Amino acid sequence: MQVHVYNNNAKMDQNQHVQPAQEAYGENQYQSNPVTTPTVLPTQTSDSSLSSSYPRQHPNDPQLEAMYELRQERLQQQLNNFWAKQCQEIQEATDLRTHSLPLARIKKIMKSDEDVKLVSAEAPVVFAKACEMFIMELTLRAWANVEEDQRKIIKKHDIASSISRADVFDFLIDTVPRPLENILDQQGFVGLPTSTVPTPLNDACYHNPPPQALVPGNPYGSPRIAVGMPILDQNHPGLQIHHFLTPMEPTPTPTPNPQNPSPSSDC
Amino acid sequence: MLPQEQDRFLPIVNVSHIMKKVMPANAKILKYFINFITGEASNKCQREKRKTINGDDLLWVMTTLGFEDYVEPLKGYL
Repeated sequence: MQVHVYNNNAKMDQNQHVQPAQEAYGENQYQSNPVTTPTVLPTQTSDSSLSSSYPRQHPNDPQLEAMYELRQERLQQQLNNFWAKQCQEIQEATDLRTHSLPLARIKKIMKSDEDVKLVSAEAPVVFAKACEMFIMELTLRAWANVEEDQRKIIKKHDIASSISRADVFDFLIDTVPRPLENILDQQGFVGLPTSTVPTPLNDACYHNPPPQALVPGNPYGSPRIAVGMPILDQNHPGLQIHHFLTPMEPTPTPTPNPQNPSPSSDC
Repeated sequence: MLPQEQDRFLPIVNVSHIMKKVMPANAKILKYFINFITGEASNKCQREKRKTINGDDLLWVMTTLGFEDYVEPLKGYL
């Protein structure tokens, strides 16, 4: 069984798509999914929250490299200005009792955790301001994504994109799943023939088992196959690939006993 | 505000309608943010054999989890 490796660093054509390998995938009916190498992420910057911002897809292109660094510097500068402004606003604030978010609701959410027994009075107040700044930071990052695409309206996928680009928002990745196009693009599937792209089914990709040889005693094939739980592929968290098929013993078909007629039959 | 000046802006209802399309995602995100921080603060309190989560616990957890930028502004609320 042959497995073709599609590399993200392969030669790119004019449409910025990965060129497929010479031999078409899918000639063998039971061929497994193509293996891809992970995308090249930027080097660690001084700000940990920006370490995974704007993944570099073309590290060899100096023009795109310069654009990437310029965007990152602009976002970093905007965030620095934002935090400086927040500190200044709190120092100048006179009324700290008015909050933009309901404290009772915050306390209720905190108490939804079974381990939390008691919450001090200041905790919801701190959370109210923290949530306010959290929304503003997330919106600022989403707006940077909007400006990058030369649009004017922040949409859901902008927020999802800003979450996936910053390390501190890793806990939200399951909450706001990225679109399939982003996952496939990051794993190098964009531009390949459609037969090579695994189709997600309930967030998992399953390989069809080879057809079983039919046995006269068992019209369903022998041995019968039960599909186990999908195994998460650690290299590609966006796609869950099922690797194992568990053989089961064929269940014997019950033969009707003429001596013990069923109670519903008329004697 | 003069009527002529008001005509130069988009209607606030339309703007808020567009904003509300994004809001459900944000509301869900905030719940997870609160639970995430609270869970870690709760673990800290359990380790230190305390029952009440206070503001200092939240700030300590935020620093630990990478939200250190939040701590300096929030100190004014304690």
